Amino acid sequence: MTRFLFWRVLTAVPTLFGMSLIAFFIVSLAPGDPVLQELRAMGSVPSPADVAALRAEYGLDKPVILRYAAWLGRAVRGEFGTSIASGRSVLAEISIHLPATLMLAASALAGAITISLALGVAAVSADRGVAAVLRTLTVVVVSVPSFWLALLLIYVFVMQLGWARLVGDGTPGDLVLPAITLSLASGAALGRMVRERIRAEMCEDHARLAIAKGLSPARILLHHIAPRIIGPLATAWANTLGGLLGGAVIVESIFGWPGLGQLILQAIAQRDFPVIQAYLVFMGLGYFATSLLADVTVILTDPQLRREVGHD
Amino acid sequence: MTDAPLPLALRPARRLPRRIAGRGGLALGLVLLGGFALLAFGGSLLPLPPPERIDLLARLAAPSGAHPLGTDHLGRDVLARLVGAVPVSLGAALATIAAILSIALPWGLTAALAGGRVDALLMRLADIVMAFPTLVLALAVIGFMGASLEASIIGVAAAWWPSNARMVRALVLSARQRDFVRAARLAGASRARVLLRHVLPQILPPLAVIVSLEMASVLLVLSSLSFLGIGAQPPTPEWGAMLNEARPHFARAPHMLLVPGLAVTLAVLAFNLAGEGLRDLLDQREPYRW
Repeated sequence: MTRFLFWRVLTAVPTLFGMSLIAFFIVSLAPGDPVLQELRAMGSVPSPADVAALRAEYGLDKPVILRYAAWLGRAVRGEFGTSIASGRSVLAEISIHLPATLMLAASALAGAITISLALGVAAVSADRGVAAVLRTLTVVVVSVPSFWLALLLIYVFVMQLGWARLVGDGTPGDLVLPAITLSLASGAALGRMVRERIRAEMCEDHARLAIAKGLSPARILLHHIAPRIIGPLATAWANTLGGLLGGAVIVESIFGWPGLGQLILQAIAQRDFPVIQAYLVFMGLGYFATSLLADVTVILTDPQLRREVGHD
Repeated sequence: MTDAPLPLALRPARRLPRRIAGRGGLALGLVLLGGFALLAFGGSLLPLPPPERIDLLARLAAPSGAHPLGTDHLGRDVLARLVGAVPVSLGAALATIAAILSIALPWGLTAALAGGRVDALLMRLADIVMAFPTLVLALAVIGFMGASLEASIIGVAAAWWPSNARMVRALVLSARQRDFVRAARLAGASRARVLLRHVLPQILPPLAVIVSLEMASVLLVLSSLSFLGIGAQPPTPEWGAMLNEARPHFARAPHMLLVPGLAVTLAVLAFNLAGEGLRDLLDQREPYRW
């Protein structure tokens, strides 16, 4: 297993390297001069000397390859420079906003997994009529845009019923509506996949044998089908977490949840490049970590793969 | 299923409702799509005021005879803007899908047909892009280009193509495994002929399913970006942008909130239904029942 982990991380190095290239160049080649923008934001008419001085301060006067090398060197040590907009260090900005987003994404993922398993299993084991209703419901929920759902939830629960409030201090009670908004759509999408997977297994001969042996449906599901689908599902969950981190941008902006989504939207509006770069790097790393976790799950749940990894 | 197919009359009756339900979804999806296509091309023929006409005296008016769906914060007719947004929203999604396919198809085909190092290199490059969550990368591209509908189309396409390239590759690889493709090869058919006559026809039906389902997702993402204010810019009528404009006023004018969201939902639903219906039509497997 250690060997597998070692190789998995090693083969990811080119991917991570490419990722850092994208994160750096997408931002540093962007049109629009952040220095001029900052000077204008301070209300001063920039003289060429000021501009040159600031460019030197941010290291913008060097060739782009050198800037990339220097940036990568600092990024590896966790230094992403200072936010052009707020003047604080980028790492501080991120560490302020990260916990809220992680909390939101984690609770939304838990909700989505619960919804998807319930939906998928119900759709497979219910009789035809109920299954058709569940499928229709799934398609409709998948099709509802999350920002609209969020606005409707706010209209009903905040403005009409007054059960929740719209502030952004990040207490767990305020998490309920955004987490529900995020988990419904991805839960339905995952439920569609759970149903597909179970259905595919039900077409296999081993399922037919289990049925012929007279095993109960619950036993077939838990002991014969669950071990075979948990790997692909874990991969899908990892992908979903990535989607949730991205989707959080929308939901955070609507509910005023003080997470990374708010930060990146501000950064885009103000062309705050160090923040955008750091955000990309952190998202890529987070995504890499979750897919690594998913790969380990796939191996642990597949006896054949487990033996292979155990032996070499 | 290993049994020989039964004549229709002998089939268990419980199969029929599902088949009809599946086709019903497909039919509904296609009807909805047809309706949207009609609105997109014929919307300007309807007796509606221009979607940009501002009437400051009738701001935030509730639905009435003159304005069936009410007016927005600038007194513009919501129904006119809703209809005017059909070609914008659907056109943007179509452009995005076209951009995605124009990269993903050649990429996946080349990887699958070339194999070996080329395949490994192409897939690794795709993996790098896929390492970012889709919306995150799209946001970065929009940050790079500045907020506009074009930027959001390019951003979404740039973030989206790798997963489709992977799917195309997988489809081609499995299509090439079929016995009749090998037979054609052995019979001396040229590479191009094998590809065009034997491989492509096999991957087109599953590709149609994928394209339809992806249209639904792309439509959602594009309208989300417009909703965030970094996609279509005012005064362009676009469903997501209309919702964004409705946000500050929705306590006073809930009608502004309801219809654009419904329009997005219906359009996404249409593509989802069509895609799923097509898939059911192609999927001939039948699970064993307990």
